[in-house]
Amino acid sequence: MANLGRRALLLIASIAFLAYVLAPIAWLVSSSFQSESELTSKPPHWIPHQPTLENFATIFTANDRVVTYETRSEGVTATSGFVPSTAKYLLPAMWNSFVVAITVVVLNLLVSIPAAYAMAKIRFIGRTSSIYFMLVTRVIPDIALVVPFFLFIRKLGLLDNLLSLIITYLAITIPFSVFVLLSYFESLPDELDKAARVDGCSRLQTLLRVFLPLAMPSLVAVMLFSFLTSWNEFLLALMFTQTPAAQTMPIIVASFTSDFTISFSFINAAGVVAIIPPVILAVVFERYIVSGLTAGAVKG
Amino acid sequence: MARIKFERVSKRYPNGFKALENLNLDIQDKEFLVLLGPSGCGKSTTLNMIAGLEDVTEGNLFFDSAVVNAVPPHRRDVAMVFQSYALYPHKSVYENIAFGLRMRKHPQDEIDRRVRDAARRLEIEPLLERRPNQLSGGQRQRVALGRALVRQPSVFLMDEPLSNLDAALRISMRAEIKQLHQAMHTTFVYVTHDQAEALTLADRIVVMREGVVQQIGSPDEIYERAHNMFVASFLGNPPINYLDGQLEVGNGAVTFRRGGLALLIPPELAQKLTAFAGREVAIGIRAEDVSEHGAPPAGQALAGQITSVLPVGSDNFLEIEVDRKQLFFRVGKEVHHKVGDSVVLAVNVSRLHVFDKQGGQSLIWQKVQA
Repeated sequence: MANLGRRALLLIASIAFLAYVLAPIAWLVSSSFQSESELTSKPPHWIPHQPTLENFATIFTANDRVVTYETRSEGVTATSGFVPSTAKYLLPAMWNSFVVAITVVVLNLLVSIPAAYAMAKIRFIGRTSSIYFMLVTRVIPDIALVVPFFLFIRKLGLLDNLLSLIITYLAITIPFSVFVLLSYFESLPDELDKAARVDGCSRLQTLLRVFLPLAMPSLVAVMLFSFLTSWNEFLLALMFTQTPAAQTMPIIVASFTSDFTISFSFINAAGVVAIIPPVILAVVFERYIVSGLTAGAVKG
Repeated sequence: MARIKFERVSKRYPNGFKALENLNLDIQDKEFLVLLGPSGCGKSTTLNMIAGLEDVTEGNLFFDSAVVNAVPPHRRDVAMVFQSYALYPHKSVYENIAFGLRMRKHPQDEIDRRVRDAARRLEIEPLLERRPNQLSGGQRQRVALGRALVRQPSVFLMDEPLSNLDAALRISMRAEIKQLHQAMHTTFVYVTHDQAEALTLADRIVVMREGVVQQIGSPDEIYERAHNMFVASFLGNPPINYLDGQLEVGNGAVTFRRGGLALLIPPELAQKLTAFAGREVAIGIRAEDVSEHGAPPAGQALAGQITSVLPVGSDNFLEIEVDRKQLFFRVGKEVHHKVGDSVVLAVNVSRLHVFDKQGGQSLIWQKVQA
């Protein structure tokens, strides 16, 4: 009986938690299929009465339309005409975000894998201090770095260039990536490293043929972390980019709220499009995610 | 082909810890050498240096006549078995064994033949497709052995390979390792802290302590002619007994005296001790070097009171109090003993160990200043 009560309680708690996490997303998805007039009608409802793809169509055809103060309310029924003037930049901005995120992921792996292996398995002078130093950089809030970063980027002449974002995102993500991989590599026994080297592997071969295959969950965690950080980053992108040539998805989506008028259904449709890439990644790597995030805590 | 020579080799870690101090050691081709000592004595460091896994801080390490200080492990022809086995968790047993051959670019059909040969020899053929986590400790141990022997290296290194096995398996694996050494005709260097393993396996034993070699010799030499109290204490079960006292020299005869106890040292040992008249010494009596049959002759009697009787199946261990000291001896089961009895044992004085009380050096087997 107690067991049944306990299970019921757990079930209710799980449902409450799921609702808490999923309700905003459900609302986002639901409203993206509603027209602006349906969305703003009373009472609000979860299931669209007249589902429409107009919002999405607008995103993909925005390029063909010139939206000005005069023409802003012309012709689009789904949005009641309130198409943001920056709507046509959404897809290019997503592409920018994607390029930045993928580059950051690849460079993250290239730098943090050898760094973590060296720190975990090679005893060199300054090893401990370099680990602490990297951890310390994670304690500094990003906002404290914005001004020095800005001056640095301006000196390099990289303002309004995707490279500025790639460089600064690397600075933010690599310490964390190294830390995750370091704790995983450290959890692998030293004797495994020695066995591989006696068996004929150089250091690099040991890393590639023995450590990396075992570190898949941690690698996936690192890839997801660096991708999502880059994909979602707002503050630095706001500082360093000024034109659609380099602006990323969060900047453009944010700009939708500072236009002549605000179309909630259109913004929500943009939100749905924005979460598609991370969702695809999460689904593909789902089986590695849980074990990867706990890899540092529990011995692999 | 594999004579290994340490020439004044020292090892210091960046934190200042001295793991090895001025090691001189000549390992013969096809020898079974055991490095024996408590943890932290430098035996694993020595082994890792042979493998190339640790740098030599000072001195030279030779393979045959070539200095190999800077040669990385994958360019040395050595194979190693680890205490934790260190099997690759993501590879099958077959691939674990084949890995070293693959890294050395052997042709596929030769790899297959050698892996299957090794598996047959170690009786792990049915396990070839399994993963390490599906194996028992003993099976993992065999795979680890297979991974090493398939390479047919010129030096075989073993770092406490049996320590993680249960007692029965450990003894049968000991015999197998010995057979392996005879069959393979290669040099074996074996690290252990287990004296029984060392005594059964070794051609020669190196006893180490805190980075310094204490004694190098055959198992018999090490056991019967220990150079100092550390070596004498480290081997033997139950451990050797010590009694402090003085040496008395008179008329060419040497006597050990402690209170009412007098042991007459036999002539062949006495002649090495005549210079040490009046010296404070500790004599060592191995647990098995007493007899309880018949009345002991004068100069061999050791009288005491039994404080406990510990049967171990084949024998009894007696704990005896002699002049306020607790001593342990191993005796047969013919005579019935009980706690509180007085007993007089005959000491086999020709097997006595005599150590300088100051430095713990053997006065018989070491050159100590009189």
